[in-house]
Amino acid sequence: MLHGASFTIAAGERVVLFGPSGAGKSTLLATITGVVPHSVIAQVTGSVTVAGRDALATEVVELSRHLGVLPQDPDSAVCLPGVEQELAFVLENRAVPPAEISDRIDAVLAIVGAGRLRDRQTGSLSGGESQRVALAAALIGRPEILVLDEPTSMLDADGLRQVRDAVDAAARPGTVAVLLVEHRLDEYAGSRGAAGLPERCIVLGADGTITHDGPTASVLPTAAVDLHRAGCWLPSEIELRAALGLAGGLTEPDVQRALLALAGEGCGAPEVFGPVVLAGRDLAVSREVAPRPVRRGQWPFRRAALDAGDGHAARGGHPAGDGRTEGRRVLLSGVNLELRAGEIVAVLGRNGAGKSSLLLTLAGLLAPAGGTVTGARPGLVFQNPEHQFLGNTVREEIAVGLPVGSARVDRVLTGHGLGPLADRNPYRLSGGQKRKVSLAAMLVHERASLLADEPTLGLDRRSTIATIAAFRRAARVGRGILLCSHDLRTVATLADRVLVVADGRIVADGSVVEVLRQGDLLARAGITVPPLLRWLVARLDSVAQVRRVLDALDTTVDAGDTVPAAEAR
Amino acid sequence: MNASSALGAVAPSRLARRNPTVKLAILFIVSLALLFVFDPATPALLYLLGLAAVLGFARIPLRTLVLAHLPFVGFALGILVVNALSRPGEVLVDLPPIRVTVEGLQVGSALALRTMAIGILSIGFIGTTDPVALMTSLHQHARLSARVTFAVLAGYRMLQQLPREWQVIRQAQSVRAPLRSDGATRFGIREFGRAAFTLLVVSLRRGERMSQSLESRGLGLGARTVWRPVPLGPADWLLFAGTLGVLALVITGVGTLGLGIGPGVLF
Repeated sequence: MLHGASFTIAAGERVVLFGPSGAGKSTLLATITGVVPHSVIAQVTGSVTVAGRDALATEVVELSRHLGVLPQDPDSAVCLPGVEQELAFVLENRAVPPAEISDRIDAVLAIVGAGRLRDRQTGSLSGGESQRVALAAALIGRPEILVLDEPTSMLDADGLRQVRDAVDAAARPGTVAVLLVEHRLDEYAGSRGAAGLPERCIVLGADGTITHDGPTASVLPTAAVDLHRAGCWLPSEIELRAALGLAGGLTEPDVQRALLALAGEGCGAPEVFGPVVLAGRDLAVSREVAPRPVRRGQWPFRRAALDAGDGHAARGGHPAGDGRTEGRRVLLSGVNLELRAGEIVAVLGRNGAGKSSLLLTLAGLLAPAGGTVTGARPGLVFQNPEHQFLGNTVREEIAVGLPVGSARVDRVLTGHGLGPLADRNPYRLSGGQKRKVSLAAMLVHERASLLADEPTLGLDRRSTIATIAAFRRAARVGRGILLCSHDLRTVATLADRVLVVADGRIVADGSVVEVLRQGDLLARAGITVPPLLRWLVARLDSVAQVRRVLDALDTTVDAGDTVPAAEAR
Repeated sequence: MNASSALGAVAPSRLARRNPTVKLAILFIVSLALLFVFDPATPALLYLLGLAAVLGFARIPLRTLVLAHLPFVGFALGILVVNALSRPGEVLVDLPPIRVTVEGLQVGSALALRTMAIGILSIGFIGTTDPVALMTSLHQHARLSARVTFAVLAGYRMLQQLPREWQVIRQAQSVRAPLRSDGATRFGIREFGRAAFTLLVVSLRRGERMSQSLESRGLGLGARTVWRPVPLGPADWLLFAGTLGVLALVITGVGTLGLGIGPGVLF
């Protein structure tokens, strides 16, 4: 899949690797770390030399003397029960004298800003903390090269910032070369834009060859259009350059004018939504499963399902334990929300704030710790699509729970562009395809409301746009949709209304524009608004205008057309 | 360092300070010796001595101690009932279809008390032993290779995540399941199998990633140092010798009193 790739990285150099999904970024990293061809069978021609050693002939373990690796998934990046042990383990393996180990642990934790984590158990760490400990473990052996494989893609805004700062701090002395692959480079670069990225950049084309290699500041603008078309997430000034054909980013008056022109005038016709399909009244949410007897009594949709033989909503409240909390730890309380047919609502907040538990409670999978949930049984799309797979092929997957030979199966397969994959095993699809299947398998049941947990996590831009389109179609035919997401851009593109969760309750409920303008509120909820969106929300008055701009930028991805600058003015 | 065991945090206690390999060896030897004992008196005495030792030297919270007993009590009762009802011999109670024999009661109670004796020692061992210290000690003192001990530790961490993972998978799959007429979802053998399959797939992947992480941290590079060696001192040898002495004393004591029964009772 990857061919003709030749490059050298000098000691202390910092490199970012760009490329569309499937171009072979991960394969390239795996070849450097020795996982390919030692653990994964693959055909490799040519040579890879890491710190003077032939990586193709050297065992992964031997390479570990020169390499530090930070993988994607925080859960498997840290292997031992305690933080100290995790770090000492690396030094023990290299036969470092025990007397030096403690000081080196302190030193490396100070670099990644995690000094106070030293005595913690690894099971109690948050995602961002885990990744910083894993980074410390990658650094403590003083490697020559640090390989970062999408280190922040599973984290929220706080975690991302912590890990990025830790990586920067580790690279600052110039003793270690850094090779970064990151998916959401728009978020990783943050407010510094392309200047926040490593100084050298290598671009892989869709065909698996290196198309550009040089200083990030000069390569990115050159490669911008190709990368943008191919569906890469780019820092905002690069994206705007590719989409609008205008350089300089958001501070440039020309760019601003072009964006305002895309926004157009007016807020469009006010959206009209249908009846309430799902409602929570004075709801308290806990992550813990209720004691069994209570759960049976409180199954929120029991009565709705009994009353509704035709699958249509029959609304009836269920007194939920008189507001008692049954000794469960309550994450959120006093939640009042209504979801109407055709409406898309997004829930924002930190990891661990209770967003996922709220969805589980609304879906009837967790009993409310207080209050009531009313409405017909919703569908819920989980964060990891594999958790939901029940079939051996995509077709079986969609057909789960439907009568044999239902015409709906084929309709949904074609509707979601899954026709060519119908006979494939869902586990063997790409990340984006898996998401598509799990979403389609939920929508096929035509339940009145759909809940989704981080539906765009880890997707490239093309898949994200496809997901947005699928949600819009579902809303148009009358589904009420509630999703929680860290992807503010997708939220701004989709959501009619935004709820912000912080400090154990809902602290804001309003349109994207209203909510994202409240800086202090966002800071409290740990939400970082990407630069482009921040600018749009500040300058535009209506959600419809923000959406028009984002949609216009999205349309330049697939076709690769630039909006002619003259017309945009 | 905060030590924690499978039963919660390890409180500093005399037993917690002892070498894990020595404790494991004691547990193993006592269990082995009990395999050849078929009278109720020996295991009963050993259980009481073990309980006294755990209460006196292990500082395991009483509630934890009681809860940890439950699986052993359940298993012991099962053994007792099965033996009492099914073993041929002199009939004690005959209320068809229930027929209890003297031999059955005797062997059953011996086996049940054996379970309890091994149980209390296991609780004492698990409740006072940090798994990391155990693995370090097995590497140091029992010559177990570092590859094995650290793979076990990584597995232990995965094990901690399993219940949560299982819950998520069950939730993820039951939201798709058709509702029965009472509004609940079915959870039968098929559903269980499907969830177990998913758990297997997800865990295998995670295991693979973890083993890559362990390798990239340099596990298996060759000679390694041990940062915090687990001490093995005179007190550990004293514990070892003392416990085995008590064991020998109990077995010979019971034998002298004429209460000892060997495996011959089975034939």
